[in-house]
Amino acid sequence: MLFNSIDFAIFLPLVFIVYWLLQNHGLKWQNALLLVSSYIFYGWWDWRFLSLIIFSSFIDYFLGLSIAKSDVKRKRKLFLILSLVVNLGFLGFFKYYNFFAQNFADAFTFFGQSIEPSRLNIILPVGISFYTFQTLSYTIDVYRKKLEPTKDIIAFFTFVSFFPQLVAGPIERASNLLPQFFSKRTFIYKNAIDGCRQILWGLFKKVVIADNAAKYADMIFDNHNYYSGSTLVLGALFFAFQIYGDFSGYSDIAIGTSRLFGFNLKQNFAFPYFSRDMAEFWRRWHISLSTWFRDYLYIPLGGSRGSTLQKIRNIFIIFIISGFWHGANWTFIVWGLLNALYFLPLLLLNRNRKNIDFISSKNLIPSLKDVINMTLTFCLTLFAWIFFRAESLQHAAEYIRNVFTDSLFTIPNFIDQKITILILSLTLLFVGVEWIGKEQKYALEIMKNIKRTPIRWLLYICIAFLIFLFAGRAQDFIYFQF
Amino acid sequence: MKSFIFKLFVFFLLLLIPIFLVFVQANGYSYPFYLRFTTPKQSSLILGTSKAAQGIRPDIINGILARDDIYNYSFTVVHSPYGQTYLKSIKKKLSKTNKNGIFIVTVDPWSLSSNKKDVNNPDIFVELNNCLSNTTWVNTKPNIEYLLKNYNKPYVDLLRKSEIKLHNNGWLEVTVLMDSISVNRRLLDKLTLYKEGQMTHSGFSKVRLEYLIKTIKYLKQYGKVYLIRLPVHPQIMKIENEYMTDFDSKIKSVVLETANYFDMTHLNDNYKYTDGMHLDKKSAKEVSKIIAEWIQSEDN
Repeated sequence: MLFNSIDFAIFLPLVFIVYWLLQNHGLKWQNALLLVSSYIFYGWWDWRFLSLIIFSSFIDYFLGLSIAKSDVKRKRKLFLILSLVVNLGFLGFFKYYNFFAQNFADAFTFFGQSIEPSRLNIILPVGISFYTFQTLSYTIDVYRKKLEPTKDIIAFFTFVSFFPQLVAGPIERASNLLPQFFSKRTFIYKNAIDGCRQILWGLFKKVVIADNAAKYADMIFDNHNYYSGSTLVLGALFFAFQIYGDFSGYSDIAIGTSRLFGFNLKQNFAFPYFSRDMAEFWRRWHISLSTWFRDYLYIPLGGSRGSTLQKIRNIFIIFIISGFWHGANWTFIVWGLLNALYFLPLLLLNRNRKNIDFISSKNLIPSLKDVINMTLTFCLTLFAWIFFRAESLQHAAEYIRNVFTDSLFTIPNFIDQKITILILSLTLLFVGVEWIGKEQKYALEIMKNIKRTPIRWLLYICIAFLIFLFAGRAQDFIYFQF
Repeated sequence: MKSFIFKLFVFFLLLLIPIFLVFVQANGYSYPFYLRFTTPKQSSLILGTSKAAQGIRPDIINGILARDDIYNYSFTVVHSPYGQTYLKSIKKKLSKTNKNGIFIVTVDPWSLSSNKKDVNNPDIFVELNNCLSNTTWVNTKPNIEYLLKNYNKPYVDLLRKSEIKLHNNGWLEVTVLMDSISVNRRLLDKLTLYKEGQMTHSGFSKVRLEYLIKTIKYLKQYGKVYLIRLPVHPQIMKIENEYMTDFDSKIKSVVLETANYFDMTHLNDNYKYTDGMHLDKKSAKEVSKIIAEWIQSEDN
């Protein structure tokens, strides 16, 4: 079920009302309702893959208990490895089998031995990368004795499949989300309003910004040989807003929806395009994934400790794996590699924690230095996004080659001038609101500071109306495929 | 909780006002079929696919026959091939008060075809998932049900003017470049589409033919039915002849119901087509005139 669909618009209020009606009947009933709702939400897409989530949940539920029960280190490790093998095995099979089969065959062909790869017609289960990482955080934390395993099977299964964040994150840690299933949730008006506001902003990002930017990004990327260099830059720019609007929009809707049910999820995006260097960008972009990799991969590898060579190795490992997590394509690996290259000088020069605070905190106008740093960082990101969006490395290379021609300094081609200008104006307005609200958890939170109710309501209605105007057929979220 | 739900309810109620105003703005420029679902019930209909939608002008026929009630209720080959869906929709659109209606029923091989996998299985008919099938009300303005279920573009486009105009009488006016290069390019595209697509994947459906007869029988209760095959570009005609060599013999069973049949394909060379399949605006006017005169002669 898509957040931006009529189905969800009916599903959410129904679950919401029944959920709060069950408030006095105990947590177990509320959790059970959330579990059933989550399975309906997921099964709406393809009920066959529910078996995967249920199986993963079973495995990790029992392995969590087994790890905690055992005092023998080898045994505990064995249970953890079993959890890793099962979960990553599913992920590897569904997401990466064809990639490895093809590359294996290509490697043989390269050495003069042509073989036909045995490809399978595999459907990638939506959200598998997300819930796999979420459930792994549970077994790893139990193994590390940072978390007590739960015996409440309903609560655990609901934690794995919690519908607001099941298919595209934020990837919640068991230590943050799981305990919330055991504490009494009470309806708090202020939180519910805040949740609705965040959902509204998420829908605006998705429907108005991302889906419109997508049309142009797709058109330009798919026909890159016919466009001028400047138009190709515009194409990359559109993609940058598409992916940000799409993914951070999803996260906003997920966090907002969770708040309606009395849950608090972690912030997943903190205005990454206002970053002044790549280290800051990675602290603000897809925070739940970055911190997952940091805590479960980077730090165990030694992190930023050890020799320079070890530091370089760790950075490359984490960024390449992060790229590969996004999809079974060399383009994602190169995207990760590029980001490692961007990040490395900052780490080696010990400047990776230079920009911790908000850019031009408490000021509306940034300093010239901040503007320059922000622009440079954005340009680097834009360049890397070309690899992320391209169908293949060859596509990316051609795209970049076509950018750096004389036509880079011409006026971009506008296919439908009026509508392009309208979309660009809305994008500028969006950037403006994000800038004003950059010190909030999400930009629209700033609206709560408007004291006059009619003005606040008018603005909400305007945003909702814009969402309606730009809503066509519900478009998939990009991160569903990851 | 109550206050939250109440405020949310008021919010959505207020939001409905501008949304309703946008829906009211939808017109013949908004979407090729929209107006057909907003006009009142009609007593005389032109039926068929996009060939008829673009090729037969009710205003010309009305003028010659001194009537004012002929309405074009033709859609496209994926919306309105003959079948249960189209018949149901026709029943909804038809005003049953008049018994002197005129029904111009156009036929060609494509409107009697279905997927080759199982040509006679109504469960896989192409029109099952589109507007004729899912729109309950075909005469309300604004038709919110239609817009919500079938408008697959952003609603902001309802406020923009397209190159296609659906007239109040149901005629679909398409304005495209008619220079020889553009026309030839579109013709080639159409030929490829039909050779590689329709011809390979479609086959004659007996069920569709039966529904055509059912449709005619139903319409006969409310007036006179005229069966017509519209002209097409000679190269498309060649494909149609190859595709359904016995079309004429198949249509004989239908002619028994109507007692008339006007095959205009002998006039193929006389007209211009936007893409080989559809008559251009000027030719549509000429063809409509000929049809009206034929109806006059049939009545006399």
